[in-house]
Amino acid sequence: MILIIAIGIGTLFGIALYQMLQRNVIRSAIGVILLGSAINLFLLTAGNSNGTGPAYSTVTETQVDPLPQALVLTAIVISMGGLAFILAMLYIISARYQTGNLDEIDNLKH
Amino acid sequence: MILLSTILLLFVAAFFVWALRHYLTATPLRGWMLALFPAGSFGLLLWQTLELGDSAETLSIPWIPTLDLSLSLYFDPLAALFGMLITGIGTLIIIYTGYYFANDKSAWRFLSYLFLFMGSMLGLVLAGDVITLFIFWEATSITSFLLVAYKYKDEAARRGAFKALFITGGGGIALLAGLLFVSNIVGSTEYATILNSGDLLRNSEIYLVVLSLVAFGAFTKSAQFPAHIWLPDAMSAPTPASAFLHSATMVKAGIYMMARLNPALGETEAWFWLLSIAGLTTMVVGAYLGTKQNDLKALLAYSTISQLGILMMLIGQDTEIAFKALIIGIVAHALYKSSLFMSVGIIDHETGTRLLSRLGGLRRAMPITFVIVVIAALSLGGLPPLFGFLAKETLLATAVHPSLPLLMTWLFAVAIVIAAAFKLVQAGLLTIDVFTGKPRDPAIHAHEAPKGMLFAPAVPALLSLALGILPEPKQLAEFFGEAAAASYGAPVKVSFALWTGLSIPVALSAVAIASGMLLFWQRQRLITWQRQLDGWSFNQLYAAVLATIDKGARAATRIQTGKLRFYLATFLLAMLGLVALTSGSAWTLPTGQGGTSGLHMQFDIIRLLALVAIVGGAVATVVIKRDFFAVLALSATGLGVAVYMIVEPAPDVALVQIVVDILATVILVLAIGRLPLRLRETAQKLRTGIQWPTLLIAVTGGFLVTWISYSALASRPRPSLVTPFYRANAKILTGASDIVGAIIVDFRALDTLVEIGVFSLAGLGVYTLLRFAAIKHADHGQAIDAQTPLAPHPLQTLGIGGFRVSPYIRAMGDILLPVALVIGSIHVLYGHDQPGDGFTAGVIIGLAIGFKYVVFGFQETRRRLWWLRPNILIAIGISIAIVSGAATTIMTGSFLSPVDYGEMLSLPLPTGVKLSSGFLYEIAIALSVLGSVGLMLDTLGRPAVDVDLLAEPPAPENRGN
Repeated sequence: MILIIAIGIGTLFGIALYQMLQRNVIRSAIGVILLGSAINLFLLTAGNSNGTGPAYSTVTETQVDPLPQALVLTAIVISMGGLAFILAMLYIISARYQTGNLDEIDNLKH
Repeated sequence: MILLSTILLLFVAAFFVWALRHYLTATPLRGWMLALFPAGSFGLLLWQTLELGDSAETLSIPWIPTLDLSLSLYFDPLAALFGMLITGIGTLIIIYTGYYFANDKSAWRFLSYLFLFMGSMLGLVLAGDVITLFIFWEATSITSFLLVAYKYKDEAARRGAFKALFITGGGGIALLAGLLFVSNIVGSTEYATILNSGDLLRNSEIYLVVLSLVAFGAFTKSAQFPAHIWLPDAMSAPTPASAFLHSATMVKAGIYMMARLNPALGETEAWFWLLSIAGLTTMVVGAYLGTKQNDLKALLAYSTISQLGILMMLIGQDTEIAFKALIIGIVAHALYKSSLFMSVGIIDHETGTRLLSRLGGLRRAMPITFVIVVIAALSLGGLPPLFGFLAKETLLATAVHPSLPLLMTWLFAVAIVIAAAFKLVQAGLLTIDVFTGKPRDPAIHAHEAPKGMLFAPAVPALLSLALGILPEPKQLAEFFGEAAAASYGAPVKVSFALWTGLSIPVALSAVAIASGMLLFWQRQRLITWQRQLDGWSFNQLYAAVLATIDKGARAATRIQTGKLRFYLATFLLAMLGLVALTSGSAWTLPTGQGGTSGLHMQFDIIRLLALVAIVGGAVATVVIKRDFFAVLALSATGLGVAVYMIVEPAPDVALVQIVVDILATVILVLAIGRLPLRLRETAQKLRTGIQWPTLLIAVTGGFLVTWISYSALASRPRPSLVTPFYRANAKILTGASDIVGAIIVDFRALDTLVEIGVFSLAGLGVYTLLRFAAIKHADHGQAIDAQTPLAPHPLQTLGIGGFRVSPYIRAMGDILLPVALVIGSIHVLYGHDQPGDGFTAGVIIGLAIGFKYVVFGFQETRRRLWWLRPNILIAIGISIAIVSGAATTIMTGSFLSPVDYGEMLSLPLPTGVKLSSGFLYEIAIALSVLGSVGLMLDTLGRPAVDVDLLAEPPAPENRGN
């Protein structure tokens, strides 16, 4: 199962990279979200050490590790804020350059 | 403390001048008044010197105790001598500056830099540890840069300043490295320790490295060949600065440091050869080059270089007489050189030129200047009965000291005689050619300078004479001896007797004087010959180095394609490469599979299905052609992740993941909706087939991450170290049975505060980016902000994008917000014991508002939700968090720590509800998140500006060409 999970995470990560490198700005934004998901999945799975029950002090089963969960929770929130900001920037940039193609945004050269 | 105040006094003066910059026009009187600062500093130093006992006085003020750093001072006769030279000559320079810049309104800038430099220089010589030394060392480089570049409109000044900074700054870096090695070997940065650890340093394996680094720093600063090239160019500084920096102070910094470190690093073969050869070469080259200069300041600059070579050479030798010669040489040079520089400044000031080819016959017009220059120049030329003669005699005596190898004795003697002869020629040029004969340029009308201005160069000139002819002041000789001893490491006896009977040095001196006179007689021929030989100089090397740096920069910028994807691909490849390289041990497969890792790894069908959904959704985002549907596929991936989290089990995270996923989808859809169809279509058409390079990066990355995840997950031995604490104390300390919630709201509350800050900033950032652009181009949305009446209510409101909406959905739009408010409140109230928290609550309510935007369109939603002010919500939310945190600080002494107000006041509350600081915090989080989400929705949901309006005017192509 570990192998399956690892392959799943890796595939997701690879797809995220592929999307990030697209010329289409929207696909690029999708790539950023997927990348976050892949990393969150990894962190979360790492917290599942020998636990089957949720991290509540009322639960008597062996609990999962709450710390990675708290970190992932924070990460989700932050990446949400980041996404909104990136979108706004992409919007402004593509409006300014009149294109949705990242390759045409080349004024950085000057 | 008095020592420190001598330095501070000068910095206060700099500040004082700066503060008065609008009122301070330089006048002679003000120069005299400002001179009280360095004079006071001089007085204090003199007093401290008289009080000084046998051992050095130290002072140490802790600065960064964790790094064992402190601001230390170290005061012994050597430091005292340099300190008094700096402040003494500094006093004269300030007086002189008052005349030199008389009636100049911008002179405050010069004076302020000059005081800063003086303070830094004094700090350098009084520093008691290598870090303090280095800081002041760099400060002198920077302030001297400012002084040289004072006439910044003049290109020569800018170039000269840059050159000086480039060379001495480079040396400074080497010096820092060397000093850090020294302190590492010795185990302390304090002089007191370093100076007593000479054997440790000399026997160290890296002694040669340390020595070369330190020497490199000192050589660049003290203009040793071939780093001397910066000094003549620095002559573009105003003359008072040249007189100060290049006679007594900055260029002596390297000398001071080598003299200081002699007990620690010196007395080795390497030390002797390195310093002797560098010094010897510098001495001869400086003397030779100085003679052919036409500009009087350049002549003095080269003669300074020559003298610096002599001093460096003396430090290299391990004899008592060498250190006697060193101290006498330093003092003699400081006296005559500052006097000569100031006199040349006077000549320049009164005649408008300082070119030898134009001057002549100034004796009648400027008799006092003439006398001063004659005395100082004779001292430079090493003629009796001046102090400079004594300096040259002692120097010659060191050359014939029996401890030197025979070859070196010859080499030294010959070199010194040559240098002395050239110096005598220079002295002749300065006196006879400038002051006697007929004026070479009839256009020059010279006047004598004001008496006060002559005072400044007269004092050191007269001291040169007095030290030579007056009966030896016993105390002063003893003081010089002590200073020499501090550098030599053993007692040194100094006497000022000029005539010590016939000896080899006297004979050599006679040879030098005779050949100097001969050369001076034939000076025309000599200088013509010298100028014919003009060829290659190290300035060409310097230019070549700069040109190479430029070329390198140009080559480096050529690989900048300007294409974002290229940069991104570069980053990713570099990162993957780094990970692959540094995860060395991870490359072996973990031996203990699932069993020992503790990870429960039974085959789990739901988990597998979730993974399939996640990966499937991700693949779909690639395959699907239309962006809109790709975003929906992305949303499916997010929900898959949520399912995975539920299985985990991580209920809190799953809940947040679901709401965030929906919110992200809504925001993406809104953003796509804003982009005009035209742009979207051009972007969509780009998708032609598979891009192999991209695919390669993606596959590599995917493989790498698979591997890392596998080895990490399979070998993870245990939960986090802090987890047991959280488990045990969550309920007791925070009253929350939801441990994840407890971590978010209590244990790591400060993180969360930062988190909501970031989230709020993201909302504000979206608003600023888009609304700013819109307001700049005055879109129709601006009308709403301006509170102008809205368009008349249409009979049938249209949803986003102008689509008609079914009445059922409209009804839902109305119902959802109240329902969301109830759900949100429950989350806030009970979040500590069950899944959900303030963040979820904020996003859920935000989603209901987003739904309204979709169903009713922008204008109608704004009309219905007139009470919603996202910015104010953010402000209230964050203020509550901070105020509540501050309140608990007062009560428990810890920021954002848990306090249960309900229990404290024994309020009758329903079961499960707590009126605690955690509860307030949840409210704060919910409000700020709601505000930020509201801002995002409101901004992105607003009908788009015509994108064409935002377009940049056609970029100025070929700008650089």
